[in-house]
Formats: sequence, C-alpha cells, structure tokens
Amino acid sequence: MLDELRNACRPGMVGGFLPGVKQIANVAALPGIVGKSVGLPDVHSGYGFAIGNMAAFDIDNPESIVSPGGVGFDINCGVRLLRTNLFEQDVLPVKEQLAQGLFDHIPVGVGSKGIIPMNAKDLEEALEMGMDWSLREGYIWAEDKEHCEEYGRMLNADPSKVSMRAKKRGLPQLGTLGAGNHYAEIQVVDEIYDKWAACKMGIEEKGQICVMIHSGSRGFGHQVATDALVQMEKAMKRDNIETNDRQLACARINSPEGQDYLKSMAAAANFAWVNRSSMTFLSRQAFAKQFLVTPDDLDMHVIYDVSHNIAKVEEHIVDGKPKKLLVHRKGSTRAFPPHHPLIPVDYQLTGQPVLIGGTMGTCSYVLTGTEHGMLETFGSTCHGAGRALSRAKSRRNLDYQDVLRKLEYLGISIRVASPKLVMEEAPESYKNVTDVVNTCHAAGISKKCIKLRPIAVIKG
Amino acid sequence: MCLFYGFVNNICSVVSVNRDNPVSGGINLFLKKKYQLIFKRNMAKRLLNALGYPQADSLNLNDEVTFKKIIVWLEINRVRSAPPNVLNTLKNFSARDWDNTYIRYKDGLGCPVLGTKLEELQWILGYAVQIETAANRNVYLKYAVENIQTSNVPSVVAENPLDKLDFRSKEFAEGIKELAKVLNIVPHSDPLVTLKAVRKVVTKRMAPDCVENPQKYILTGTPFPFQDADLGFDLNDSVLNQAAKILRMLYIHDLRELQTKANELIVAVQGITAYPKTDTKLGKSWILIRYARSD
Repeated sequence: MLDELRNACRPGMVGGFLPGVKQIANVAALPGIVGKSVGLPDVHSGYGFAIGNMAAFDIDNPESIVSPGGVGFDINCGVRLLRTNLFEQDVLPVKEQLAQGLFDHIPVGVGSKGIIPMNAKDLEEALEMGMDWSLREGYIWAEDKEHCEEYGRMLNADPSKVSMRAKKRGLPQLGTLGAGNHYAEIQVVDEIYDKWAACKMGIEEKGQICVMIHSGSRGFGHQVATDALVQMEKAMKRDNIETNDRQLACARINSPEGQDYLKSMAAAANFAWVNRSSMTFLSRQAFAKQFLVTPDDLDMHVIYDVSHNIAKVEEHIVDGKPKKLLVHRKGSTRAFPPHHPLIPVDYQLTGQPVLIGGTMGTCSYVLTGTEHGMLETFGSTCHGAGRALSRAKSRRNLDYQDVLRKLEYLGISIRVASPKLVMEEAPESYKNVTDVVNTCHAAGISKKCIKLRPIAVIKG
Repeated sequence: MCLFYGFVNNICSVVSVNRDNPVSGGINLFLKKKYQLIFKRNMAKRLLNALGYPQADSLNLNDEVTFKKIIVWLEINRVRSAPPNVLNTLKNFSARDWDNTYIRYKDGLGCPVLGTKLEELQWILGYAVQIETAANRNVYLKYAVENIQTSNVPSVVAENPLDKLDFRSKEFAEGIKELAKVLNIVPHSDPLVTLKAVRKVVTKRMAPDCVENPQKYILTGTPFPFQDADLGFDLNDSVLNQAAKILRMLYIHDLRELQTKANELIVAVQGITAYPKTDTKLGKSWILIRYARSD
C-alpha cells in the first residue's frame, strides 16, 4: 500500500490503486448514473474508467451516457472454460505434447493470424451473427451457445457502423489468442468448495482436467473503441457534457454517436465470441489429435463463457422498481444469482458460473453469482487478479529467465511468443488472485465454487 | 365453391406478401398500384362467376350501370337483406338518391369504410359468398381437405371401449389404483389424475424402444439436493416454500426439455450448413521462442 501511495504521488506516474479510486469517483459524477460507481477488489487504474469498475446508467434518463472508456479497448475480453473427462494422471505424461499441440493450433502473439479461412463476407456475417455464425459453419456445438453469456450473440450488432479500418485489422485475427494477459491454459481442478454447483458444471472430482481460454476482440475491438472516442469528443462538445476527466469521453445513450457505439461495440462483442469459439474448436482438435478420440468422447463441453469488458442493457430492481439500465462492466464479470432468467437452464439452481482467470502460473477460480451481489453491485464481481506493477516496472524489475524457471519449478509447461511479455505477465506483477476471490466471497457478491491450477500455458 | 374460395384466398395472401415488399421508385409504385387494380378486378369477376352472375367475364366493372346492376342482382339473388323500399330505389338506376340509398344499404350490411367502389363491391361479393357457403355448408364440406383425405382411406369405425367406461365407478377407481401400484405411482384422490400419470409413465417408459434400450431413457446423474437450494424468495410458510420449490423444479425441467429441443434443431440445421475448415498455411504466430521443460 505504501508503495502504491508513493507511486501515485510521484509526478507523471500513472497506474495503480489510488488513481483507480480517483477514477471510480470521477465515474460516479457522470450524468445519469444509478446507484454507485462500484470498484471491485481487483481494481487498478485504466483508461477513463478503472479496471475493476462497474457503473449503471438509467436508459430512460435522456441525460444518461455511454462511454467507450467504461468498456475498455479490448471489447468483450472474456474467459471460457471447457471441461474434459480426463484426469491429471492421463495428461501429465503427454503434457508437453499437448501444450505444443495447442500452441501449434492456436496462433499467438501481437501480429498473429488465424488458421480458419475467412473472407470479408464471412467477417460481416460473423460480426452480425456472433456465435450463431460459428454454429452455422460447424465450428462449435449447439450446447456451447447455451452456456455463453447472451447466448454468444448481441442482437443489436450492426457491422455497417464499424469502420473499414477495424474490419481490415480484424479479418486475419479471428481465431488467434493475441498478446498481453491473454492465454490458453490446461488446468487441473485443485479444490472444490461447492460440490453441487461443481457437479452441475460437470466437475465431479479433484484432478479433472479443464481448458481455459482468455481472449477478446483483438485489434478489431481496439479500433472500434478508438473510432468511437473520436466521435464521442465531438458529441460531448455539441451536447455540453462535462466530465472530470478527458478520458471519460462519452455520448448520450440516445444520441446518434451513443447508438452507433453500442451497435459497433455489439459487433466487436460478436467478434470476440467467434474468436473464442474458433479457439474452442482448435483446442478440441488439439486434444482429439493427442488422445486419438473425438472431442465428444472427451466430453469437452463449454462450462461457461463470461465477458468482463462490456456494456449491456439489463433490467435491475432499483428502489423497489424494475429499471432498464445500461450496465458498463470493465474488468468486472457479470454474476447473476440462481433463478435469473438470463442464465442457462443448467445453472438455474446454482447461479451463473463466474470464471476468474488467474495470472500465468497462479490458480484460477470458478465462482457462482449470488442474490446479494444482485442487490449490491448490479450482479457484478471481480474479473481476475488485477495488476499491481505497471508493465514498464515489471520489465525493469524482473528477468524473464527467472520467471520461466519458476514456472518450470512449479511443473508448468509454457509456450510463449515473446519473452518481454512473460515479465509483464509474471505472477509478481499482479495481485494475489486468491485474495481477490476471497474478498468477493466474503463480501457475498459471489460464491467460491472451484479452484483450478495450471499445468500448461500458451501465451502471446 | 368452398374450394374455389380457399384458392382465391391463397392468391390473396400471395399477392399481399408481394404487395408488402418495399418497392422503391415512382415507376415501380405505379406498376404496383396498376397490378393491384387488375388483381382486384379479376378477383371480383371470379367471385361473380362463382356466385353465378351471367357473363361475369365480359363485364366492365368501371361502368356505373353495370355496378348498379350487380348490386341489385346480388341483393335479389344472394344477400336478400334489404327492406322493400331500399330495394325499389336500388332497382331504379336513374333515381336521384340512388347513391345515398346504396350507402345506407352497404352500411346496413356492415361494410367498412373503403377507398373505392370496386373495393366495396369486392367486400359485398365476399359477404355474398359467405352467405352462400353457410347456406350450403354440407355440400361444400364434402370437399374439405380433411374429408377428402379420409374418403380415400378405408373407413374404420372408431370405437373406443374406454368411452363406455364409467369413470366415477368404484370399480374403475380401484382398477386405476391397482395399476398405479404396479407402476410405482403414488395414487391421487381423483382416479382421472392418476390415470394421466399412468399414461405418462406408459408412453414414456413402456415404449418398445425404451423397453429394449432402457439406458437411453432412464436419466442418470447425481441428484441435486433441491431442498437446500435457494428459492430466491420467501413465502413465510414452509409448506408453501416447499410447493414453490417443486414448481421451480418442474419449470426448470420444462425449460431443459425446450433447450434440448432447440439444440436438436440447431444440430439438424448444422447437418446441412456445417463445413468447418482450417488452413494451417494461413496461420502466423509472432516470434516463436519455445520454452519447454526438458525432461
């Protein structure tokens, strides 16, 4: 904390906890906000909104705004978890081959290109249809759609609102993992806290193998956000919207700019779902090749797919009355309680599974949504560990050889595209995910269900 | 006649679909209107033909006298609802208040406000067809689709022995109770409700495929302790809460069945559309530095 304080007070410094808190306060002053601007336990500063921040705006209030900063540049960045019927002892002997197989199938890194052939028309369709496109083309299973937020498709997506530049950037990148904190991991069930909820997710015992994919909308989403920011600045001037921070560029929800952004953001969200679906397909292929059985026989079902950078229209009870809200979740995961109509039928009794990706080499968690979270945080919880050191500081303080050696010591196979990123994403650069998850559990905004530990990591 | 009317209605729906298509441009709009008009004229002539109006095909429906003649003919021969004084005025084509009388007449029939006289004529023709069909219902029913189908099939007199049962007799109630006992069903106080449950079990579990492959039908899995599950609300009454929980479970069960059907439908469509392909030549990862455990 002292280190944080020192960092925050130094002139010209950005990032960290305290600037994050300041950003939460700035968001609380935005027009049309309902309830509180919520900071989740993994909060750290980001562009405009803090990462680990959620804020809801009343759609019926003409003053209410939508802000690209409240969604983030990696639109619909999210986590998907696949289960298998394999156990640790089945995988350990072939761990290296499996990691290599995944690495060969899923292109990684900044400039990576996908191996699923796509042309401009396919992209247009994918942007509009989301996971329905993947389904139509046969890349995924019908059950995958069922176990995905929004059923893998934002219906208000409009590809015509997306710039040519974004489409050009996005086209070759579909089906790639990307860089930064994105990864694909082979994980082992390390602990089961809620036996029944885990059972509903198809997790029966400790030692079961899962695959976690953490990725987003790649350069496509980034370009959509960048384009929108330019438009928003114009709209702010026109409509005289004042904010405490220039980074909080926004537009009224009902203004043309606001609507255009929501439509293009939905297209980017669909892009991310197709992206994760393509990687699901490739992971299933890699596993099937290694074990010489079909993915069906390996029971490689999607447990769930969460989005932690998105703005969605949801109905919440505010002061005892149902209200339509535009909920911005940036670095925050939706966590709906049991019996909520928007969660899949299989999780009606347990609450929505919430996937919390840890950092490279640390554990990940599956939580479930609670009624308390619905009341306190509009059904939102944390999204991951949350950065503790800035990227530059990680590079200065850590050596990539040390980081890799440590992972080796822990028995984790790793395939990475760039050593520079290994330091940035080292567990030391992040907060302890267990502390973050325990805080959410103690606050009652989500409930611990499963703990997962990685045995192989693929990274950009 | 009935068949013919159905056919006309079909054309109607086809045309109305086309009519709803957004057509842009003045020429298209003009053509659209023209075709609508031609269609309406043809339609009116067909209806007149069906009603037995002499030489309906060669009529000029734009001619005022022809229009008046048709109205009078329809009233005398088919509609038969106007009071004598109205009919007399309508018969006198040169009467000064013919138009007013006609308006009163058509309003009396319940004709809605329409744009042109042709449309009004068409409505009155439809009305006449309805009267005609209703009067000769038995004749036309012979040609109804259901009856045509059954007439081709050798007729079997359906006799349901259950119809003769006395559902309220003691014997029946006891028999059902016995049957429920055999099938392991808890009997309801109303034997008919128990019978419904018996029917469900028999159709689901006693089907030939189910008897041969019981594993396919018997649900396996770990039972969920729904008693401990959060109901989401409290009715301040443990019995009511219990009932609400059971309702929840039934609802979830229905929802699951619906979702499974939706999934099956998607899979069926995938059978036609799916063609997943990959091309590793397209793949490109950034600088590859592979770091693996050496063991």
